[in-house]
Amino acid sequence: MPAAFPARRLAREDLHGLVVRWAGAREVVAPVREGNEVHWRPVTDAAQVDWDYASTMLPPSKVLYKPLVDVARFTRAGDAVATGAVEPDARPSLLLAVHPCDLHGILVLDRTVKGRRFVDPSYAAWRAQTLIVGLNCRHVGELCFCASFGTGPFYSRWMDQGPSDGCDLLLTELEGDCLVEVMSRPGEELLAGTRMTEASETDYAERDRLEESARSRFKKKLEIGGLPELLLRNLEHPVWERVGEGRCLSCTNCTMVCPTCYCYDLQDRSSLDLRETVRARRWDSCQDRNFAAVHFGNFRATRKARLRQFVCHKLSYWVGQHGCFGCVGCGRCIRLCPTGIDLAEIAGEIRRTEKAEDLKGKAEG
Amino acid sequence: MTPSPLLPLDAEVLRVSEESSDTRTLVLRLRDSSARMDARPGQFNMVGLPGIGEAPITFSAIGGDGEFAHTIRGVGSVTRALIGVAPGGTVQVRGPYGSSWPEEELAGRDVVAVAGGNGIIPLRPLLQKMVADRRPDGSRLLVLYGGREPGQLLFRRDLDAWASAPGVEVRLTVDEVPDGWKWDGPRGVVTGLLDHPSAGHPAELALVCGPELMMRFAVRELLLRGMRPADVFVSLERRMKCGIGHCGHCQLGPNYVCADGPVFRYPQVKPYPDAML
Ligand SMILES: Cc1cc2nc3c(=O)[nH]c(=O)nc-3n(C[C@H](O)[C@H](O)[C@H](O)COP(=O)(O)OP(=O)(O)OC[C@H]3O[C@@H](n4cnc5c(N)ncnc54)[C@H](O)[C@@H]3O)c2cc1C
Ligand code: SF4
Ligand code: SF4
Ligand code: FES
Repeated sequence: MPAAFPARRLAREDLHGLVVRWAGAREVVAPVREGNEVHWRPVTDAAQVDWDYASTMLPPSKVLYKPLVDVARFTRAGDAVATGAVEPDARPSLLLAVHPCDLHGILVLDRTVKGRRFVDPSYAAWRAQTLIVGLNCRHVGELCFCASFGTGPFYSRWMDQGPSDGCDLLLTELEGDCLVEVMSRPGEELLAGTRMTEASETDYAERDRLEESARSRFKKKLEIGGLPELLLRNLEHPVWERVGEGRCLSCTNCTMVCPTCYCYDLQDRSSLDLRETVRARRWDSCQDRNFAAVHFGNFRATRKARLRQFVCHKLSYWVGQHGCFGCVGCGRCIRLCPTGIDLAEIAGEIRRTEKAEDLKGKAEG
Repeated sequence: MTPSPLLPLDAEVLRVSEESSDTRTLVLRLRDSSARMDARPGQFNMVGLPGIGEAPITFSAIGGDGEFAHTIRGVGSVTRALIGVAPGGTVQVRGPYGSSWPEEELAGRDVVAVAGGNGIIPLRPLLQKMVADRRPDGSRLLVLYGGREPGQLLFRRDLDAWASAPGVEVRLTVDEVPDGWKWDGPRGVVTGLLDHPSAGHPAELALVCGPELMMRFAVRELLLRGMRPADVFVSLERRMKCGIGHCGHCQLGPNYVCADGPVFRYPQVKPYPDAML
């Protein structure tokens, strides 16, 4: 099938030349291997980029949704306090080689802190200043399950997004060369003056073959039909207590590495002479013990309740809130959980219990 | 550039009054005379002080003249600092945020308001309006309010005034009466007032606010008396940092209590865990 957008064939070395050119005009941030992990780092040369990476520790959405952002500044002079805005520090950037699950992570985050009545100015500014070059995925990891959500392994139209919402260029690595799909006008401009050939039917066929091959390699699956309601029916399933109390360490890793988690705390820090106070938002996590504490008690005092909040938010409540799942199947929360807690496995167990009970009910009824 | 929705405005403290040993009312006005605070009863502001932080605080009065009031119980760092600000001083506010009591559904219907402790605070501006409107359609308003002890009951003067308005009945109860206090009213939990002989009119709409456990029992009693769950409104308290549906702290199932609430129809919040409802 031909791509929905104009596509070109580009030699690898020409792509590498483009990276150098892009890095001259804006900060190019790409997956870079450091020891056993891959991180989003500024690069100036395509050789620094880990083109074959499976997944990064932090998602690219959180390159845009910064961990610590000043939101207001208070300056005291005598009794008077002047309140000032803090301009977002966004600068022209480019996220390079973003996998489809993570492109969707950005689209989901857009819906939560950018697409509603109130807009997070820092995220909106970084989002507006950042071009995105996607990279279709050929490396299906043990813990990846994007195919279950339709958020990967290849990028395609999803929900009500416009073609350019998720990325400006989309790369697929063919044998030797690269297929480049142009998703937006800024994407077109990124390619200006580059030697390219129009993609041929054979190129599209190769792309489709690669997608099929990637698709067939998923081991991990999550059945999403009726999933939000399934979880709502099973808020007291024994799995919450067993896994929450038995294995969760409340370390908050799952929420920190999740591409769609948006929760934050507001904190004031003042200079020693108390002249200056800066109020900042800082990533926070529903897995922190005090996240839902109020003066008369704590609505989620147990690890069982906190684990259930994470899993049910991602796979159930989010649908009611934002019309999509809060999970894109990237597998990070599973891989970076010190005790290997797996939300897809929890949901799977709940479904198996219901199916078994249904069968039993039918046999008896 | 999008202006930050988290930037607070300065408000001058015009008057401060003592409501109980730990609770004060601050009457405020925005220092910027071109800014307006158009709040509806049940909504809230994030009220704060630079260097200390912010807390969600509902409106206890909303004047047409740009004055508004917050009645605050000092329970922690922010609320204690706020009630320490003297007249002439400044506090910061952002809002109004959240949903409000269903004013458009009140006309012509018998209403019962059930409040426990500080739960009377968000109801006050609404009840004030309802009493002022004098219920010309003959519908009735029943206010049931319970506190731990007589000294903890807020707005006694308002309650007395409301009680003498036509079509309005006010019933108070306390859990205990410490030595030295005079109290001839009933004792016990506020739900007990529902069974008071003169309180026995079937309400068509209920407004409930108080400690969540109290709300649970109040709602249950109302439903047992035949009220439809969708006619019962509750106002919830959760930890709130942003008030604008971003920080996630207040979430209850798919609801942002700060944006979809704090006032909810009971069925909107009933299905979700981590609540006492
Ligand atoms: C919509 C809404 C309207 C409200 N309206 C009013 C009102 O009109 N009047 C009123 O008096 N109150 C009102 N409240 C309640 C008020 O917001 C809280 O009492 C207030 O937020 C407490 O903040 P604080 O900083 O004073 O206390 P905090 O310093 O936050 O501490 C209070 C308590 O919270 C817990 N806590 C807080 N942070 C932590 C932490 N990091 N670790 C552990 N425990 C912690 C502790 O138990 C602590 O003792 C309202 C609440 C909501 C949600
Ligand atoms: S919940 Fe886990 S698997 Fe799903 S998007 Fe977040 S980190 Fe990835
Ligand atoms: S509530 Fe928890 S799972 Fe949901 S967005 Fe916040 S941190 Fe992530
Ligand atoms: S208070 Fe921040 S989301 Fe509700």
